[in-house]
Amino acid sequence: MKHLSEDEQMEMYYDEGSEGAKKHLKACRECAAEFAKFKRSLDAIKPEEVPQRGPEYGDFVWQALRPQLIPYEKKAAGWHGWAWWKTATAAAACMALLTAAFIGGRLWEQRKSNGPDVAGNVETQRRVVVVVLTDHLDRTERLLVQLNHADPQDKAENAQLQTEARELLASNRLYRVSANKEGDPALAGALDRLERVLAEIANDPHLTAADLERVRKDMNTSGVLFEVRVLRARKPNQEGGPTSAKGVSI
Amino acid sequence: MQGNDHSIVRAVLAGDKEAYGALVRAHSAAVFRVAFRIAGNEADAEEIVQEAFLRAYQRLEKFEQRSTFGTWVYRIAVNCALNRVGQPGIEADYRHGEESDPETKTVQVAAQDADPERVLLGREVSAAQELAMQRLTATEKCAFVLRHLEERSMGEIAEVLGVAPNAAKQAVFRAVQKLRRELAPLRGNA
Repeated sequence: MKHLSEDEQMEMYYDEGSEGAKKHLKACRECAAEFAKFKRSLDAIKPEEVPQRGPEYGDFVWQALRPQLIPYEKKAAGWHGWAWWKTATAAAACMALLTAAFIGGRLWEQRKSNGPDVAGNVETQRRVVVVVLTDHLDRTERLLVQLNHADPQDKAENAQLQTEARELLASNRLYRVSANKEGDPALAGALDRLERVLAEIANDPHLTAADLERVRKDMNTSGVLFEVRVLRARKPNQEGGPTSAKGVSI
Repeated sequence: MQGNDHSIVRAVLAGDKEAYGALVRAHSAAVFRVAFRIAGNEADAEEIVQEAFLRAYQRLEKFEQRSTFGTWVYRIAVNCALNRVGQPGIEADYRHGEESDPETKTVQVAAQDADPERVLLGREVSAAQELAMQRLTATEKCAFVLRHLEERSMGEIAEVLGVAPNAAKQAVFRAVQKLRRELAPLRGNA
């Protein structure tokens, strides 16, 4: 038989014990004795005598408190008064105004977007493409210049060339495919020759000085560089972009 | 009384500050009683009463008409007392002059009378009880006072202390355990 814990005794003392605990207490002499001790110990804790306060105490508290209190603002009318209606009407008018302004704004935006903005967007898109392609050709030009003037013995420089070539190779493929789709054979052809040079440099696992020299000669990198320069000079003018391309001194 | 209190609250909120005096007069004795039981001395209890009625006035707009003003200000007073008892300075004051002999496990009470022979057993018990109460944490003491002396239910205690009912019950239980342990040597002597 499980005896009452101190927790359960406390519940019993404060008349919050379960039915099971009450039954057990009646049946178990040991628990009854223990509970009697528990009860005596708590009964002994008597409330400390509270000093009496006379009827004037409330007045005393109020007089001390009074100067500290700031009166609440008088409310002219409650929720059912005229003020409420005025507030509600003003709020409804504000809401109606806001809704009208919102709908008007939407309609105006729609009408505006049907006009020259579409052409404007296409123009903006084209400019972005030209800028991106120009950037690609810039980087490629720098790579080819570095390649033509690279010191074959400088391994660090060769490794840097290879890294740059790998990065350019992926974007070059995309530009070549796009040029083919758009029916620009000159650009597509130049990008194709460029891609072969880039692939040669990027995919050689052990790029040596001899390899670089071979690429320079076999693939005519000087010729490819010339083509890139022509493209760089041509593209911005064609698309209405900047007339003077950034050059790289050789 | 409840309806009257509510109409007074409405009057105060409508700008009649003086009406609040009626609420203060009606409930200050009950608030003082619980404040004294928790704080343990008159000076602190009186400050708690002032603070409780001031806070109640400042928050009067939040007073929900479902409860009575008396219950509401009582809860505010318990919280004020709890904050006050929990302050380290107050605790230190309580412990002043208190010593405990770990070997004999008897409590030595600071002499409040010039002649020790005149200190009676009953007074010793009462002083030891007071000291034991001061050894409780602020929450335990509050919970115990509300349950044992003010005879509030666990639900009410939980609400006043802002804790779950089980946490309130545990606080009372811990207080009971500590008090019984502290006062056991005296029960043996008695």
